[in-house]
Amino acid sequence: MTWLLSCLFRLLLWFLLTGDRSGLNLLIGAIVAVLLPQRRGRSDLLSLLRALVQAIAAIPHAYAEAFRLMLAPAETEQWLERPSSGTRTAAAIFLEVFAITLTPFTLVLGVSAGPDGPTYRIHQLQPSSGLEEREP
Amino acid sequence: MHIWLHPLSLILISLGLLMWFWGTWPLLQQRSLLVKLHRLSVADTLGSALMLAGLWLQRADLWPLLLLALIGLMLWNTIFGYVLASSSQTPRSR
Repeated sequence: MTWLLSCLFRLLLWFLLTGDRSGLNLLIGAIVAVLLPQRRGRSDLLSLLRALVQAIAAIPHAYAEAFRLMLAPAETEQWLERPSSGTRTAAAIFLEVFAITLTPFTLVLGVSAGPDGPTYRIHQLQPSSGLEEREP
Repeated sequence: MHIWLHPLSLILISLGLLMWFWGTWPLLQQRSLLVKLHRLSVADTLGSALMLAGLWLQRADLWPLLLLALIGLMLWNTIFGYVLASSSQTPRSR
């Protein structure tokens, strides 16, 4: 099933690149999508779909965070660790790193392996009133 | 093209331009690399995406290429930000 998703994504890119929706182009695109090498290894469709939904949902969230950051008088920095959803699928980890880094408040600094799946080291920049720094 | 689409596209492009300036201005300041990367994600990813959305409204016939550029920008700018942030860490802090 993950193989099918990967082929569909390749076919979408082929269509966008060629801009041609004819039957012959569909056939060529499908052949190219199938013939290109596939990644071997773990594949967990459910965690991949969950990560994909999370990545798409991160886009409007990123704009909300961007406007909050733009309107904030000051920012505070913080370093933290966040466990992953527990997935070990490379594509799902890629999408989780994408979702975290796309949002302007958070930036992934690294991924470390743990017993319950990877953990993300994150740098966080959050809007603040600016009063905290003046306090002794 | 609908009469309201043109002003809407101009608003989107202007908003993207505003994000570009807001995000790239700290490059000239004495800020930490990570703060600059946070701000650049607003400029080069989110700002550029708004501009592409504005261009999409103006040139709907070019939607396959604009959508491809949008996917490429969102994906690779974000991952490039992660690669830069990750590379900036010393071996001990990693």
